[in-house]
Amino acid sequence: MAIVHLQADHRRFTGGEEVLEVDGATIGAVIAELERRFPGLGPRLTEGASVAIDGELLPRGSIYEKVGPTTDIHFIAPITGG
Amino acid sequence: MTDTEARPTYKYVGTRPIRHDGLDKVTGKARFAADLNMTGQLRAAITRSPHAHARIVSIDTSAAEAMPGVKAVVTGADFPEIDIADAIHDEAVNNIARDEVLYNGHAVAAVAATTLAQARAAAAAVKVEYEELPAILSIDEAIADGAPLANPTTRTLFTGDTEPSNFASIGQFERGDVEAGFAAADVIVEREFTTVPVHQGYIEPHACVADCGQDGKASIWASSQGHFAVRSKTAAILGWSTDRIKVTPAEIGGGFGGKTTIYLEPIAVRLSQKAGRPVKLAMTREEVLRATGPAPASKISLKIGATNDGELTTLAGTMYYSNGSTKGFSALTGAMSVASYKFPNLELHAIGTVDNTPKSAAYRAPSAPQAAFAVETLVDEIAQQLGMDPIELRLRNAVVEGDPTAMGMPHPKIGFIETLEAIKSSDHYNSPVPEGAGRGFATGFWFNIGEQSSATVNLNEDGTATVITGSPDIGGSRASMALMAAEELGLDVHRITPIVADTESVGFTDITEGSRATFATGMAVVNACRELIEKMKERAAVIRGVDVDQVAWIGGAAVIEGPASEGNEPLTIADITAQAKMTGGPLTATASLNAAGAGPSFAAHLADVKVDEETGQVTILRYTTAQDAGTAIHPAYVEGQMQGGSAQGIGWALNEEYIFDASGEMENASFLDYRMPVASDLPMIETIIVEVPNPSHPYGVRGVGETGIVPPIPTLANAIAAATGVRMTDLPMSPPNVLKKINEK
Repeated sequence: MAIVHLQADHRRFTGGEEVLEVDGATIGAVIAELERRFPGLGPRLTEGASVAIDGELLPRGSIYEKVGPTTDIHFIAPITGG
Repeated sequence: MTDTEARPTYKYVGTRPIRHDGLDKVTGKARFAADLNMTGQLRAAITRSPHAHARIVSIDTSAAEAMPGVKAVVTGADFPEIDIADAIHDEAVNNIARDEVLYNGHAVAAVAATTLAQARAAAAAVKVEYEELPAILSIDEAIADGAPLANPTTRTLFTGDTEPSNFASIGQFERGDVEAGFAAADVIVEREFTTVPVHQGYIEPHACVADCGQDGKASIWASSQGHFAVRSKTAAILGWSTDRIKVTPAEIGGGFGGKTTIYLEPIAVRLSQKAGRPVKLAMTREEVLRATGPAPASKISLKIGATNDGELTTLAGTMYYSNGSTKGFSALTGAMSVASYKFPNLELHAIGTVDNTPKSAAYRAPSAPQAAFAVETLVDEIAQQLGMDPIELRLRNAVVEGDPTAMGMPHPKIGFIETLEAIKSSDHYNSPVPEGAGRGFATGFWFNIGEQSSATVNLNEDGTATVITGSPDIGGSRASMALMAAEELGLDVHRITPIVADTESVGFTDITEGSRATFATGMAVVNACRELIEKMKERAAVIRGVDVDQVAWIGGAAVIEGPASEGNEPLTIADITAQAKMTGGPLTATASLNAAGAGPSFAAHLADVKVDEETGQVTILRYTTAQDAGTAIHPAYVEGQMQGGSAQGIGWALNEEYIFDASGEMENASFLDYRMPVASDLPMIETIIVEVPNPSHPYGVRGVGETGIVPPIPTLANAIAAATGVRMTDLPMSPPNVLKKINEK
């Protein structure tokens, strides 16, 4: 199961849990599983989050990116640039 | 000077050829959007709101339409209504107001006429009846209990809230135990910092030419950081499909983030459609300052704790950022940019606000300079209180690969320590501080991004090449693309022509932002070249009558290896392209990608300043910047980015500010009154390129365009503190503001 790290303002959906083990073969599947377990969290992660896996920042919207059983996933606020 | 980690030796990468677009730029031949003229072209002008916040009761365009030369008039009613949940809503409303004007300068109507003078006269004759509404002009006003709404369509981002609010976004970042961290700290410093809006100050005002044909399609020539985004946004605002719009990128006279958004193109297209003629629409400098996005104002309360031996243990605070008239996530980005030190205990609240000033826009490392002002000032103060060298304190606490950023994500391979070491060993740092001067030091961080890019490489009949990308060149990226292609192909860089093609001539490419062009588009160029090399090996095998696995690509030529090599001279690119027709036709390759793994960049700045204690005038005597570029593809342009970012940061620090009157009208909307630094204000900015290659890029590139603007504000604040003993916490650090602080000492 992938290891998901949530930033503080997402933890209100998980009862304060910051690190979670989540089933899912892709980022999208992980988000769907998080929404199933914590209703309301999914849209927060798809609408406005950037995603990093194993410390590498992914392009925005990378819902089909594959994740493995030991993948570290960080959902963070959106990053753009100037 | 370059401080380089061991890496392969390159023939072209790392050299400094004259940029391919240089001659056109210096001879005035380069064509910017406002230089374009078409047969039958009309000129357009915009009617703008004189109020910071008002309801539009009615618009009467009849007098304007009757004026000489007028061919078309448009208002918000000429554009489709867009749902407030739609991603394009805010930008559409910012292009032209619908029910309310949201800031002084907001576009209300536009006129196309035979001459510019006629268009301006008619724009002034558009009669708008307003009902004035309370205007919110600051962060404090926006967050006050019972504050009226600045924009009734704004919802707080990413919360699911459906009620209108003056809060654009609310976020929180935590790790460790802040309370325990401060309890265990030996030294605690705490201050509040404020910054005001500043403009990107690009020399070229926004401009475009639009030509709408009778087939319902439009061609646009525009100055932007991303012409594919101009296409998609214009289409969305007009309610069109993207295939109805072709955008050709003009040369761009600076963007710095401010041209990642659009202001004019949908209006110009609609005017052209109504008039049946091409329409040129160009802003004046006053319009640029009144109606395009500045960097946000901020108000940051921050507290940092440390132990006596110099461990930074705890950081806590609240960061307010104004987004201007619409929602945005500038505060979240500001908090996330707190990424340079380990801080085992951290708690940051990030709150974005909405008010009735122009909608803010990206500006080089958006939101990071404001946050760095607070963090780096307090870190400097801790070093001062502990009697530690400011660089040693930072070395003691600097993040390395695997350490977390404020949002928890671990850093990938980074070169912060190397950057600090580079400036520590610089001539500047090891020279005495001039008598009567103060020395300041600070650092900066920026994420950088990847995203989507496309490139096509065509080999011409004579063995020259054309590299075609979709990334507008805002900082010398064409030269970088040519250098990477030269390195891959083994072809002289001046036999390569890099161009930026229109939206119908190259694959989709995201905006040039986030310092992504040389990183992501560069990778697309590299991939296309590698595909071309495989094709050339196949052609060489045909020409020599050998299997392709006997052909190697060495030094820009196909070399036959093994037993068949005897008597078979290497085939150059020109040898192969000369026979392209006989071996399968033209040689071309295209690559597209969605790049991950952008390498973050760190910078460290050092400044010596003198402060005139009678006038408050700050004079910079010496300024040095070190920055990790990963690999500098074209070192001269990397240095240019470092110097440009420094110069803009210096202006932000010392002089620049939007000055609004009580009604929300900008009082200094010209370069005469909006004081940007000029060459005579600055010393030569010395540069040290640090090269810690990014493992996610074939040549190790990290973006370099943004980080350089992050450290100057705290660098100069710390230098002023060293020179005067006064801690500056409010921008700008202009003579009257510095003098006031000195007098309060």
